[in-house]
Amino acid sequence: MPNLRSPVHRVDPRAVRWWTLRGLCSAGLVLVVLLLVAWLWEPARGWLVAPIVLVAAWTAARALVEPRWRYAVHRWETTDEAVYGLTGWVVREWRVAPLSRVQTVDAVRGPLEQLLGLATLRVTTASSSGAINIVGLDKDVAEQVAERLTLVVEQVPGDAT
Amino acid sequence: MTPQQGAEVEPGADAQAADGNVLEREVPVTPDTAPWLRLDARVIWVDVAQSLLSLTPAAVATWVVGVDPTWGAMWPFVLVAVLGVIGAARDALRWAFTRYRVTDEHVERRTGIVVRRYRSVRRDRIRSIDVTARLRHRLAGLRVVLIGAGQQFSAGESALSLDALHRDDAAALRRTLLSGEAAPPGARTAPPTRTAGSEGPTGFAGPADRSTEQVIARFRPSWVVYNVVGVWSVVAAAGLLWGAYWLVAMFGLDPGTWIQRNLSPGEVGWPVTIGMTLGAVLAVGTVARAAGYFSTHWRFELARVPGDDSTQLRTRQGLLTTREVNRDERRIRGAHVSEPVLWRWLGVADTEVITTGLSIWSGSTSILPRGPLPVARRVVGEVLEMSPGPFSRRLAPHPPAALRRRLWWATVVGAAVTGTSGWLASNGAVPVTALWWGAASWVVALASAVVAYRALGHTIVGDHLVVRSGLMSRATTVLRRDAVSTIALRESILQRRLGLRTVSAMTAAGWGVYEAPDVAVEESLAFALEAAPGLLEPFLEPHDPPQDASADRPTPQ
Repeated sequence: MPNLRSPVHRVDPRAVRWWTLRGLCSAGLVLVVLLLVAWLWEPARGWLVAPIVLVAAWTAARALVEPRWRYAVHRWETTDEAVYGLTGWVVREWRVAPLSRVQTVDAVRGPLEQLLGLATLRVTTASSSGAINIVGLDKDVAEQVAERLTLVVEQVPGDAT
Repeated sequence: MTPQQGAEVEPGADAQAADGNVLEREVPVTPDTAPWLRLDARVIWVDVAQSLLSLTPAAVATWVVGVDPTWGAMWPFVLVAVLGVIGAARDALRWAFTRYRVTDEHVERRTGIVVRRYRSVRRDRIRSIDVTARLRHRLAGLRVVLIGAGQQFSAGESALSLDALHRDDAAALRRTLLSGEAAPPGARTAPPTRTAGSEGPTGFAGPADRSTEQVIARFRPSWVVYNVVGVWSVVAAAGLLWGAYWLVAMFGLDPGTWIQRNLSPGEVGWPVTIGMTLGAVLAVGTVARAAGYFSTHWRFELARVPGDDSTQLRTRQGLLTTREVNRDERRIRGAHVSEPVLWRWLGVADTEVITTGLSIWSGSTSILPRGPLPVARRVVGEVLEMSPGPFSRRLAPHPPAALRRRLWWATVVGAAVTGTSGWLASNGAVPVTALWWGAASWVVALASAVVAYRALGHTIVGDHLVVRSGLMSRATTVLRRDAVSTIALRESILQRRLGLRTVSAMTAAGWGVYEAPDVAVEESLAFALEAAPGLLEPFLEPHDPPQDASADRPTPQ
């Protein structure tokens, strides 16, 4: 039985910074709030020790471990027939969608991504859970790929369900 | 998969417009000369009747029973009367301000008193026509038409509902919309086929093309057994008994004393009390659920009805409230049979179709009342026109590692319960005997793990893939392979250690994703390859290298 090979391309190295910032903005924010509460509200301090330790560990994992791990895992590839992505860190996922079923192709840029010159390639199918998101691409690469895929998708007849 | 959700700029955020199936705005857009039609005028008569009816309890209480006309005794009746009259008045206003029309391309409806709303549904996107009638509609010869267009417009809501039309108009509208023929110049200006008794023996609209339809399943009174079992009987009984108590008390009787005298443990002893209470609850619950089964599914019939360019899968049912649902067979992608765990020994099964364009919450996907498993399997086979049937092949069991994974979960649950109760016991919040709860939960969880493991299975039958999983409700899904739009293989760290992967097949229909959890790694790829033919092949390694590089643990560089 042959194995599934990894997709060809890695994501942009700047994605590591993006994942770090994202980890700090989510888990880090919770940590800051907990610390503030502990600082301002003395009676609650005893109860907050365990949550603070847990959230601090989670923040460290999100900011230090997750970005490098994800960068090592994440890969993507597009052909004229399909989009293929490998994502995740603790849970890895290989996902393939045929272009004949694709409904929209977008290059999406959030605020953090704009800051770093990155973009997410989002490919949606008619299934509510069948979208493929390829995060951490260079914004020009993402736009080119989105344009190319859109051209291919437009040539496929049918309503893609 | 979507870690950055919420932090991004959505281009073209108007999902509704991008969808294009249903549009809602304040003014009509399509310039068309087709006449706007009113709903049926009998709606008004129904409203008047409803107002009068809602006044009767108050009248009966005052003049027949002779309840004192004080505010304290009368408020429930007054509430019923006020709510009834207000509801009827609103309904009459809604009738007065609602117009609809069918053009060549759209079905349109204008409604609203203060805020005018206009809604249109593209006719080529219509995926189901639901014709229902409550008792009041049936007495007046009315039908409610619900048009589904396969959008997530608002959970569980039809794209467009017309409440209500004359039963012949409803039948004509249904035929027009489903056959795709050009719009008649006003469904009602054409002489309607309003012949006496056209409703037929079943009391349903539109007994068209009866000669060629193929009936797949019919109502069976004996299935009542499958519909009365279950915890809901107890809930129904509790609700009914409470309601009865309240009602009796309302009319000045005092059931409390009677219960005190005949049922209290001090008078008759605990065994009698418990026995009588349990017996009463079970009896009332069973009768209530049986009545529910008969009234909902009376004269149930599942049939394949030929249309102009495709066949329809039609269900009709109902004693007082009738319901007829037509599903376009071109949109059916598979079927789903679920068996609740507590009644598996009885072979209880629920049957649904997996179809695009029907909300899974709307109830339109169910094609059979709860009934015996063999019937469910036969019906699925016939609906999907599979030969051999989807259940003819034994499902491939999943590796023992999947059982190990579930036993570990069970142990974690048991440990968590024990730990929590131990902590609470050490604080004195619960007695020390609570530790036994932890032990008991562990045993239950272990048993559940085995049940869940035994439910796992997957196979390929012809053009369909079959997956089965689930603890509380063992669900077998039969899905057309060419309907799979995305295929995914997923593996957590723990799964990797156990050599397991989860295969997910995404589709536009039903729940959107159907999974075969915890398949052995080497089998998972073979199953994924077969589940979505031709999709994964380009991404296979060209040869058979001794060790695969892709599945290894990633080494950070």
